[in-house]
Amino acid sequence: MLGRGLKRKLSDYEENMAGLSSAFDSSRNLTYPLKRQLVLNMCLTKLQTYKMLVEPDLHRSVLIANTVRQIQEEMRQETSQQPVNVCNGLGLHSQNYTGVDSAGISAQLLSGVNQQESNCCDSRSAEEPIENGLLMVSDDDMSSAISSILKDLDFMEDISPPTCLVPAGDDQPKSPENVGLKLEDDRQELKGAECVFGSFEISNSTSYLKDLAIDDIFEDIDTSMYDSDFCCPPQMPSRVPSATTEETLKTFPTCNSSSTNSIQICRTDLSELDHIMEILVGS
Amino acid sequence: MPFSLSQPSRSRNPAPSKPGPHSSQPGFNSVSKYFMSARGRCPQSQHVEEAGVFPEGHTGCSAREPRQHLSPSQSRLTGALPAQDSGSSPAARWPPCSGGAGGVAGGAGGGNDFQWCFSQVKGAIDEDVAEADIISTVEFNYSGDLLATGDKGGRVVIFQREQENKSRPHSRGEYNVYSTFQSHEPEFDYLKSLEIEEKINKIRWLPQQNAAHFLLSTNDKTIKLWKISERDKRAEGYNLKDEDGRLRDPFRITALRVPILKPMDLMVEASPRRIFANAHTYHINSISVNSDHETYLSADDLRINLWHLEITDRSFNIVDIKPANMEELTEVITAAEFHPHHCNVFVYSSSKGTIRLCDMRSSALCDRHSKFFEEPEDPSSRSFFSEIISSISDVKFSHSGRYMMTRDYLSVKVWDLNMENRPVETYQVHEYLRSKLCSLYENDCIFDKFECCWNGSDSAIMTGSYNNFFRMFDRNTRRDITLEASRESSKPRAILKPRKVCTGGKRKKDEISVDSLDFNKKILHTAWHPTENIIAVAATNNLYIFQDKIN
Repeated sequence: MLGRGLKRKLSDYEENMAGLSSAFDSSRNLTYPLKRQLVLNMCLTKLQTYKMLVEPDLHRSVLIANTVRQIQEEMRQETSQQPVNVCNGLGLHSQNYTGVDSAGISAQLLSGVNQQESNCCDSRSAEEPIENGLLMVSDDDMSSAISSILKDLDFMEDISPPTCLVPAGDDQPKSPENVGLKLEDDRQELKGAECVFGSFEISNSTSYLKDLAIDDIFEDIDTSMYDSDFCCPPQMPSRVPSATTEETLKTFPTCNSSSTNSIQICRTDLSELDHIMEILVGS
Repeated sequence: MPFSLSQPSRSRNPAPSKPGPHSSQPGFNSVSKYFMSARGRCPQSQHVEEAGVFPEGHTGCSAREPRQHLSPSQSRLTGALPAQDSGSSPAARWPPCSGGAGGVAGGAGGGNDFQWCFSQVKGAIDEDVAEADIISTVEFNYSGDLLATGDKGGRVVIFQREQENKSRPHSRGEYNVYSTFQSHEPEFDYLKSLEIEEKINKIRWLPQQNAAHFLLSTNDKTIKLWKISERDKRAEGYNLKDEDGRLRDPFRITALRVPILKPMDLMVEASPRRIFANAHTYHINSISVNSDHETYLSADDLRINLWHLEITDRSFNIVDIKPANMEELTEVITAAEFHPHHCNVFVYSSSKGTIRLCDMRSSALCDRHSKFFEEPEDPSSRSFFSEIISSISDVKFSHSGRYMMTRDYLSVKVWDLNMENRPVETYQVHEYLRSKLCSLYENDCIFDKFECCWNGSDSAIMTGSYNNFFRMFDRNTRRDITLEASRESSKPRAILKPRKVCTGGKRKKDEISVDSLDFNKKILHTAWHPTENIIAVAATNNLYIFQDKIN
């Protein structure tokens, strides 16, 4: 258990977590949803910590991500069975998420959610302190974990074609505020978890140079291709229509050479860049 | 059901004489007689054990007549073991152990009582453990005469067993340092800006074909074939060189002579003969030598490669579970091994608790398994951590090739290769940890990768645990024992006292409660001699050797 990489400083949060995990084990005062939330928090914290390491352990990351997915699935099933708007942080997130999908996200909705969330927390303040601690910890830390994961993703996008990028639909324009949106915690967590492996793809591929599309070498020439619209959007791949997929591929040639489509698109870009090269070289 | 060991009515009485069968068979049917000298001479160790002092209260011990083979009842039973009465057979004495939480029988022996005795310990004794000294792999060679260890600092230390020596009868079977060399150095991958650890992940011996010994050692990325050879003669009387190495002037040479071989002090040299590099993107977790003695496999998290021992510039990829889209990754390879007899068969285990058996004859890329081993999940024990604790950390074929054993976090399972839907035997290693999974997840202990091993006759299996405990299970009698590798119980020829973990309720004397366990003292690597009852247990930076030996 001698870890390498980041030295963890003991913070209040961690002290909380240590106390909570032993509370979990002794099964006192923790209901099942709370236990689940605790485990989810721990998973996200670990994923976040691993992302900060130079070389995260793939085996561990896979196990933790699977645990996160399993919990996510359970939560979704639960909330889909409960049409009533249960006032807890999780149910709220999942319910509002379905609304988000069809319509664009607006600032009003954002403030509305915040209001609801604060109402939610207030109503629960009468309950046991340990639950409150858990909820308070969960909201703050989930969002911080998610935003840090997403920050890393942004960074990854800058240096290379994002393999973890899911094509975003044009009909759902994203604004940067959405990134920090708590509403989409569930999806973002999932994406954050899955995108852990995107980093493995990039950092561990021996054919790094081969896979790298020519575009990236000329990044500084044409930056319009890297629009902020294509920040890692928390969309499920299945929801995106295939037409937009192609369009995205046109602007973001991916490392995946499995589709012939992308290869053809790469060639188009290649000829464009050849042209640019000739101009630069002055021939 | 755990039962108490130290009941006052039966402990200190020496056993009555009773003739018993003499068994020369290795394994748990053999009989403990001979207490070995405990003189360790590891150059790294500051501790030299003294021989010649018997533990207190030692009566009726065979050590007075070291060469005599005594019956089981004449052996000394200490402390926790009940004395035998004249009539009943040992099997009737204690109830069969179901392998439950911490249940310990006096000796995991088939029918006869025997004990494990401390033999040697290698390594420094000070509390401050240098990380580079932490042992990361232990492996006996095919004959058991050589014992190799690899550590986090990239060094390999090989111990050799002493030959029997009439002048020093107690030193027979001692392992002393034979060779030490730096196998791997830390590397820096400039392309990815990553440091590659020099920690030795696995060592595997090759079968001996000539006077030299060969082993494969691997770190995360590179496998090396090392040749360890002895040199005990040197040539003298060269024509072109002086004795001190200076070249002689050819014009001065008037006569030719034939160099003669003269004996010299034994020198053991280790030289790297092959370096197999650049074939793995992810971290290598296993290597396994094939029964054809020409090829071997290396496995990382997502791929398995097949190598020929002579060819270093290419390897064949035989398993690739990397998905096209890394987001879809849900499973990684955790261990792989070739079948001991069928050179076309190998297995690999996964993080989801499954084992796949592949036949290389079916296709070049063995992505489709021939057999798929998975035990259906027990819904009553489902928790958030079910998947994490089901991840298999080690898989080992039995020597017979009929069974294989897998180690997950809480248990060891024995599988019959002919039955895929469930294991034939399951042994709980430390079930008392099931209620502590959240804390173990929090401190990352839940990801510890324990190894397991068979004894030479496949009748017993051994694996490690926390607090420097290790567990042994007898497959025939279903008895199990928990022992501790500690300096406190390393008196010369001391019999190891079985340990017990108290799971709840009143803690009895000599028991240790779950909350007092030291999770930093973990035994991940153990090895069993291929033919005899000698085990090597790696406890952080110390290597313990325990023996139970027939004379």
